[in-house]
Amino acid sequence: MIEARELRKVYGHTVAVDGIDFQVKPGHVTGFLGPNGAGKSTAMRMILGLDLPTSGTVTVDGRRYQGTVWPLHEVGALLDARAVHPGRSAYNHLHALAAANGIARKRVDEVLDQVGLTSVARKRVGGFSLGMSQRLGIAGALLGDPGTLLFDEPVNGLDPDGILWIRTLMRSLADEGRTVLVSSHLMSEMALTADHLLVIGKGRLLADTPLSELIAQNSDERVEVRAADPQQLAADLRVVGAQVTMEPDGTLGVLGFESKQIGELAAERGHVLHQLRDVTVSLEEAYFRLTGESVEYRAPNPAPVAA
Amino acid sequence: MSAHAGTAPRTSISLETRLRATARSEWIKFRSVRSGPAVLLATAVILPVTAWLLCAYYRNGWATMSPASQASFDPVFISLRGIEGAQLLVGAFGVITATGEYTSGLIRGTFIATPQRAQVIAMKAAIFAVVVWAWCTLLSFAAFFIGQALLSNPAKHVAIGDPGALTAVFGGGLYLTLIGLLGLFIGVLLRRTPGALAALFGILLVLPVAIGLLGGKNSAQLAEFLPDSGGEEIFKLLHGGAYTLGPWQGFAVLAAYVAAAAAPAFLLVRRRDA
Amino acid sequence: MTSETMPAAATSSGRRASPSALLRARAVLSAEWIKLRSLRSMLVTPALAAVFCIGWGSLVCLRYVNTWPTRVAAGKAGFQPLDVNFNVLVIGVLFFGVLGALVVTNEYGNGLIRATLAATPQRGLILAAKTALLTLIALLSSAVLCFALFLAGQGILAGHLPHVTLADPGVLGRVLGAIFYLTTASLIGLFTGVIARSAAVAMSCVFGVFLVLPTLLNSLHGGVWRHTVPYLPSNLGNALWLSHAGSLVRPTVAALGLAAYIIVLGVLATYSLRRRDA
Repeated sequence: MIEARELRKVYGHTVAVDGIDFQVKPGHVTGFLGPNGAGKSTAMRMILGLDLPTSGTVTVDGRRYQGTVWPLHEVGALLDARAVHPGRSAYNHLHALAAANGIARKRVDEVLDQVGLTSVARKRVGGFSLGMSQRLGIAGALLGDPGTLLFDEPVNGLDPDGILWIRTLMRSLADEGRTVLVSSHLMSEMALTADHLLVIGKGRLLADTPLSELIAQNSDERVEVRAADPQQLAADLRVVGAQVTMEPDGTLGVLGFESKQIGELAAERGHVLHQLRDVTVSLEEAYFRLTGESVEYRAPNPAPVAA
Repeated sequence: MSAHAGTAPRTSISLETRLRATARSEWIKFRSVRSGPAVLLATAVILPVTAWLLCAYYRNGWATMSPASQASFDPVFISLRGIEGAQLLVGAFGVITATGEYTSGLIRGTFIATPQRAQVIAMKAAIFAVVVWAWCTLLSFAAFFIGQALLSNPAKHVAIGDPGALTAVFGGGLYLTLIGLLGLFIGVLLRRTPGALAALFGILLVLPVAIGLLGGKNSAQLAEFLPDSGGEEIFKLLHGGAYTLGPWQGFAVLAAYVAAAAAPAFLLVRRRDA
Repeated sequence: MTSETMPAAATSSGRRASPSALLRARAVLSAEWIKLRSLRSMLVTPALAAVFCIGWGSLVCLRYVNTWPTRVAAGKAGFQPLDVNFNVLVIGVLFFGVLGALVVTNEYGNGLIRATLAATPQRGLILAAKTALLTLIALLSSAVLCFALFLAGQGILAGHLPHVTLADPGVLGRVLGAIFYLTTASLIGLFTGVIARSAAVAMSCVFGVFLVLPTLLNSLHGGVWRHTVPYLPSNLGNALWLSHAGSLVRPTVAALGLAAYIIVLGVLATYSLRRRDA
C-alpha cells in the first residue's frame, strides 16, 4: 500500500503538489488522472525517493523509499522508457538493474520473455522503437517481482496488441493482490483498466473515488430523442416541465424525465420515434467537468466536446 | 509469488552483500558501453607510441645535446610523456562515466534501484578506478620498457631496479587513475558533459598555461600546486629545480584536488533531486 | 496554424511548385540562425573568451610592468609588446574551438539533428548554413576580443614599457591574423564536431590539437619534426601574430595552411554528414 500524508512539493515559486493525502490500496488498479502539469509525475517521483518532499510524507508499505534496501523487490516502476543509455543492449540494461538488487540473472531472461523482447535482447537500446523501449521499461518494473507497481503512461507507443496485453497484465497483477498505480491520459484505457481513481488538478486532489462513482456523480442522466417531428415533440415535452435542447440535426436532449416516461408521452401524443437513448456521461466528460478550471496548459477549443 | 500483503524490511542483508551488488551493477554498466574499450584501446596506442617517438628522437639527437641538457634529461619521464596525451582521454572518460547517466536519464533508474546514492557513486568510482589503474599501470610499464630499450647507449637510460624508477612507473598508472577520478567527480557535480569537460580541462590543462604566462618565480612555485604539474612529479625520476615537489608531495597535491571534487559530489548527490 | 504554413494554392496538376534554390537557402539560414541564437553556449562561450582573454592578458601586461626593473638586459632588449599581450590567445583559441564543436554536438546530444535533417534533406546545405553563421559569429566576437585585448594591453604597457599602436607597420596585419586564427579554430571545432558527433570526443580533440599536441611536440626540433611540427594548426595560427619567425612559417604560408585544414576537414565533414545515418 502507498500512503501519502499532506504531501507537498514546491519548486521555487511553483507549488507542484499542494498537501495531498491519499492511499493506494492493494488488489486494485488505481488510476492517477489529471491534466498536464497537475503534479502526477512529481507525486510519483516522491513515492520513489527521486525528489524529496518539501513537507509531508509518502510511504510504501509503511516505509520511506530512501531507507529501503534493495527496493526493486518491493516496488517496480516505469517512469520514462527513454531513460536508458542508447549504446547498451536491452539485456545488459536489465542485468545491471538486477545485479544492483541481487536479482538472479535468469530473472532477466524471464521478464524479457514476459514482455516479448527476447529476440532483440542483445541489440542496442538506441535502435529500439518507442513501443520496444516501453516494453523494456515494463520489464524493468517487473524484475524484482514486486508487490507494488507504478506505471507512468504505460501504453505510450504500444500497438493495439500491446495495449490489450498491458491492460490484462495490470489487471492480473492487481488480482494477485499487488498494489498497482497507473498514471495516464488515455481516458478510454483508464475507463477499461482502473477500478479506483485519484484525480489531481493543479497539485490538489480533486477526487478519490471508485470509477463507477465518479461517472455517476458527474452524470446528467440526459435522454437523447430522435423523432419524425422534433419541434412538436419538444413543445409537448416542455409543457410537462422537461428541459429540452435541440441540435441542428433535430436531435433532442431531454433533462428531467426518464426514457420510459418520454417514450410513453410520445406514444400518447402520436409521435413517431426514431431513437430513444439514455446518455451516460463518459469518463472523459466526467473528467473534463471535474478538472475544468484546473487545466494548466490548454489548446483553444476547436469544437464543443461531444457527449 | 503469492501474497503481497507487505514484505518484511530487508535489514538482514549485510553491508558487504549490498556493496557487492552495487559494484556488480556498476561493473556491468561500465563494460557494456563502447566508450570504455575505445578509450582503453586509445591509451594503449598513445602511451607506447609516444614513448617510441620521443625516446628515438632523443637517442638520435643525444650527441648534439648540451651537457646541461644531458644531465637534466629524465629518461623515465620522457618515456612516460604519453601520459600527458592520455590524460585527456582518461579524464574525459571519467567525466562521461558520470554524466552519461545524467544526460540519458538513467540516473533515475539507478537511484530507484539503490536509494543509497552515496553508495552508488562510491562503487561507480571504485570500479572505474580499479579498471583504469590496472590498465594504465600495465601500459606504464610497457611504455617504460619500450622507452628504455630505445634509449640505448650513449643516451641516458635506467633499469627498472634503479632507485626511483619503480615508483615512477607505478606513479604513471596512479596519476592517470586520479585524473580519471577527478573527471568522474566533476561529472557528478556538474552533470552535463560539455560543462564538466570544460571544467576538468580548464583546471588540468589551461590553468598551468595561464599561470605560466605570468612568468617569474612566483608563478613557477604556484604551478607546482596545480593538479597537472604537481601530479606529474609522481612519474618523474629527477626532481631538480628549486620549486619542484617530491613525488609523493606532488601526488598528494593531485589527491587533494580529487578529494575537493569528491566531497561536494557526495554531499550534493543526496540533496539534489535526481 | 498561421497562413505561412498552409499549403500554397495547388497548381492544376495538384502539386505545389518547388521553392527556388535561393528560397531554400534562406529558409535553412533562418532556421539555423534561430537555433543558434537561442543556444546559451553561443552567447556564453564568446563572452567568457572575451572576459578571460582581456582580463588575463591585461594581468600579464601589468605583471611585466611591475617586474620590469628586475629584468635582465637581454630580456628587456628582446621584449615584444604584442607577443606578450597576445600570448593569452593560446588559451583563447580553445574557447573558439569549443564554440564550433558545441554548435553541432548539441544537436546530436538532444536528438534535434533528426528533425533538422528531416526538414532539409540536402545535408550539404545545412552544413553550409551552419558554417556561414558560425564564421560570422566567430569573426565578430574574435574581432571585438582582439581589438579590445590590444587596446587594453598596449594601454597598460604605454608609458612604462615599449608598446605598439595600430598605426605601427605590420601591427594591424598581426591583429587581423589573430582574428583569422580564432575564426578558423572555431571552424575546425565545427567540422570536428560533425565528424565526431559527441561533445566529449570533439572537445577532447580541440584541447588535444590546440594544447596538448604542441606541448608534446614543440620541443622536438630535428629530423622529420622540423618539417611537420610547424604545420600543427596551433603553430600555424601563432605564426600569424607572433613577431619572431623562429621555427614558425611565414604568415602567408600559415594562412594558407590553416585554410587547407579547413577545406580538408570541411570535405570530410560534408561526406560524414551525408553518408551516415542521423
